[in-house]
Amino acid sequence: MTSQAGISEKQAKRPGVDTFRNEDHFFLFLAVFIGIFSGLAVVCFRLAIDWTRVGLLGPAPQPHDLRLLVVPTVVSLFLAVLVIHVFPSARDSGVSQTKAALYIFNGYIPFRTAIGKFICAALAIGAGHSLGPEDPSLQIGAAIASGLGRRMSFSREKLRLLAPVGAAAGLGAAFNAPISAVLFVIEEVIGRWSAGILGSVVLSAISSVVVVRWFLGSQPLFRIPPVASMRPVELVAYAVLGLAGGLAAVIFAKTIGYLRPRLRAWPRWTQYFLPAGAGLLIGLMGYFGTPQIMGAGYQYIDEAMHGQFTWQILAILAGLKILATILSFITRTPGGVFAPTLFIGAMMGGAIGGIEHHFYPHLAGSTATYALVGMGVLFAGFLRVPLTSVFMVLEVSGNYSIIVPVILANTIAYVISRSLQPTPIFDLLARQDGLELPSLEEQRDEDVLKVEDAMESPDGPVLNAEETVAAANLSTEKSSAEVFLVRMSPTGWNSVTRDLLRQWMGEGKAEMTLGSVLPSGRLPHLHPDYPLEMALRYVYQTPLVPVVSRADFRKLEGVISSHAVLERYHVVSRENL
Amino acid sequence: MLRAQLQSFTRRRSFIFASLTLLAILCFLAVSRLVTRFGEQEKALARHMYALGQSEQAAGQPERALEAYRAALLYDRDNFQYQLSLARALRDSGRTEEAETYLLRLWEANPQDGAVNLALGRLAARRGSVEGALHYYHNAIYGIWSANAESARNDAEFELIEFLIKAGAEPQAQAELITLAARHPNDNDEDINMRIAQLFMQVHDYEHALTAFQLVWERDRGNAAAVAGAGDAAFALARFRKAESYLRTALKLNPNDAHSSDLLQMTNTILAADPFARGVTEAESVRRIRSAFEIAGARLESCAKQKNVDLTNAAVPTGPLVTLRLRWLTMKSPMKNSNFSSDFAGASGSPMDLVADIEQETATACGEPSGMDKALLLMAQGHSSSDIGENK
Repeated sequence: MTSQAGISEKQAKRPGVDTFRNEDHFFLFLAVFIGIFSGLAVVCFRLAIDWTRVGLLGPAPQPHDLRLLVVPTVVSLFLAVLVIHVFPSARDSGVSQTKAALYIFNGYIPFRTAIGKFICAALAIGAGHSLGPEDPSLQIGAAIASGLGRRMSFSREKLRLLAPVGAAAGLGAAFNAPISAVLFVIEEVIGRWSAGILGSVVLSAISSVVVVRWFLGSQPLFRIPPVASMRPVELVAYAVLGLAGGLAAVIFAKTIGYLRPRLRAWPRWTQYFLPAGAGLLIGLMGYFGTPQIMGAGYQYIDEAMHGQFTWQILAILAGLKILATILSFITRTPGGVFAPTLFIGAMMGGAIGGIEHHFYPHLAGSTATYALVGMGVLFAGFLRVPLTSVFMVLEVSGNYSIIVPVILANTIAYVISRSLQPTPIFDLLARQDGLELPSLEEQRDEDVLKVEDAMESPDGPVLNAEETVAAANLSTEKSSAEVFLVRMSPTGWNSVTRDLLRQWMGEGKAEMTLGSVLPSGRLPHLHPDYPLEMALRYVYQTPLVPVVSRADFRKLEGVISSHAVLERYHVVSRENL
Repeated sequence: MLRAQLQSFTRRRSFIFASLTLLAILCFLAVSRLVTRFGEQEKALARHMYALGQSEQAAGQPERALEAYRAALLYDRDNFQYQLSLARALRDSGRTEEAETYLLRLWEANPQDGAVNLALGRLAARRGSVEGALHYYHNAIYGIWSANAESARNDAEFELIEFLIKAGAEPQAQAELITLAARHPNDNDEDINMRIAQLFMQVHDYEHALTAFQLVWERDRGNAAAVAGAGDAAFALARFRKAESYLRTALKLNPNDAHSSDLLQMTNTILAADPFARGVTEAESVRRIRSAFEIAGARLESCAKQKNVDLTNAAVPTGPLVTLRLRWLTMKSPMKNSNFSSDFAGASGSPMDLVADIEQETATACGEPSGMDKALLLMAQGHSSSDIGENK
């Protein structure tokens, strides 16, 4: 004896089998595995970067060491050949590529991309290019997820969603910060809040972070010195930091946006030498006194937080790092911009904190506090992920005492950046690559039409199920409407036409109640705050859709018809024109 | 057929799940091995950089040492010893604030660690913060030390006391010394007891200093420094007979001890000038009083001359020197009287009281005296601060 789905009853009672046959449940299981494999890959990736750096630049790079000039130049030449001939997809932003996989390529990311990113980014960062490992980690995670998903018989929709699940795992492992990874994937990769995928994204991010912590320890990315409590008036100092961070983010993004397409337009042969040129310039900066700007630079962020640099040095490091990152990024050297963004933010924050302390020595905030807030500020302003920026600061520092200044400064930076640079950096890069990808920020800008915008008052009387057919017929006689809503008992709505009422009268059902003669089905209903597009699903099934109160389903707020919906869209399109 | 069955089997999700689990375990083991090897190499690299840092620091290159310690921490970032060394190197290279930030973080993690507290105490001392130094040094003294705890605690205590003395916080230093001495009541470590005694001398707690020197001396009769110290302390307490005895012994043990020699000479002068010394006859006592009286009068005149004070206009007292001169003149005629006795006391006190007043006032007005004047001054101070009877 088998059930409809073809599963024997015995099998159906076995929870494991049942779980695996359910695609949603299996997707969740797979998310855990994606997290584990991504975590393992990111651990190896980090080891590869560290050992490449030690091997190429030595354990403690110092100024005036010729290696600082030779290594980035020579390795970049080799990298150029590698990315042009072997791993072309290893170039450019992994975030945009993952997003493209989700929205354009049905979740498909070739595994070769992951291998390419791994090798090329490890070489680039290890050789001193001003790039970080997070963006490649995100794409490695997405590629692993895509690779695993292709071996399962998932629906196309599920296959698409695997890329962001892997991206969250990769990013979570790279940052050792699951909440930030989940938020970033929602804000930037998926571009919308979707409850359907949230569970898988969270599971994969957490499992990858567990793996990374298992191998590399559970301490946060940065160790924060004790943070002194501050008076509310000191928030002004952080507002200044937000302002400066917003402007720096705009300069950073605009320069990349301006130079990148121009360099891409140069003849093909120049592409072999562009990364080497960038490497040489960055090497020169290191050679002449600032080796700190080379590579991801996490250890120097840590040192900045512990007051190891004066504010003048911090300001120089922030400026040079912006320059170095622009050079590495516009020459399409494989690697990400997350770590440089954090570096620039930390140095800038520390420098501004130092200047403020110079003029107002009574300020309680230490260099560490300003550096920490500065990281979030540039994250919010440059990467344009306001929620992620706040949680990222809290997670990478393990310190929640500075949440108020972080929110304030990040918001200011975000608002300034959004005003002066309307297109976020990842969208800008995608457009330069010929891709038009959706973003959460665009959705925020849109005025979403709601049901209440098209809702009308009913033309005729609202009938009750307890009324007799005769009474209903009488009350509708004077109305010009052809369809009337009926309030059912104890709850729900139905409708009846004038013709049907007359027909029932003719059939001798005059004394019967409407509830007893109406078909048992119920009309779908809407609430005034629903998006208007939801009404489109129903208005062609029934001429009138009741719009009811959320507090009392029997209370009619209005009605929606296909005509009203279309009329509303017409009005909006005319206004837009 | 078999192939189709196999394909069907491998497509089952339970099979996939099991395969993924197996693969994850294998990958986990492989990465574990990799991370372990990587970790070992990193630790070795860190040790190398740390050793380099130590040698640079020993060679007086704190900046290079800093870089090496930072590199060591890059590869072993939670190593407490490396962090502490970096903080110390920062402090030694004058980066006090940076060092403090670093140390405070270490302190947050290990608030009871003696070494961290000691380093923070030294920073506070460098800043001149008595309160901060007391806080962290006390934490260090009563904190946890990984090795040689007792010696480290003693060193920290001595450092604190020396800092307090330098900072002019003598009462706190004295209190610390008393506590330290109490911790070593029957300590056989002569060096510690000697240091304690010498520090008591520095805080002008001569009574405790004398006790501490005597303790060492009783245990080691060949310790010239201890007996010299005891003589010094006894002299400061105006116990001149005891001082004379200790100083003479000290000079026997170490004839080159110039300080003890000077002190003994002064002690002998004082004892020879003291009219109330034990065994002195009435006639000798009167002679000594008259001699002291004359010497004090001469000292008063020379001081007045030095200060351009006119002592001849003594009818109208216009200052302490003139007032003393008036008292001296008033007492001069009874002094010449043949009936004068050593226990004479006029309207303004005894002659030796006047001598004491003159020597003290002239010392204040014209600076430290020398020779007999100094002996008279010390005698006067001794009579006012110690039990006079000790010398009798």
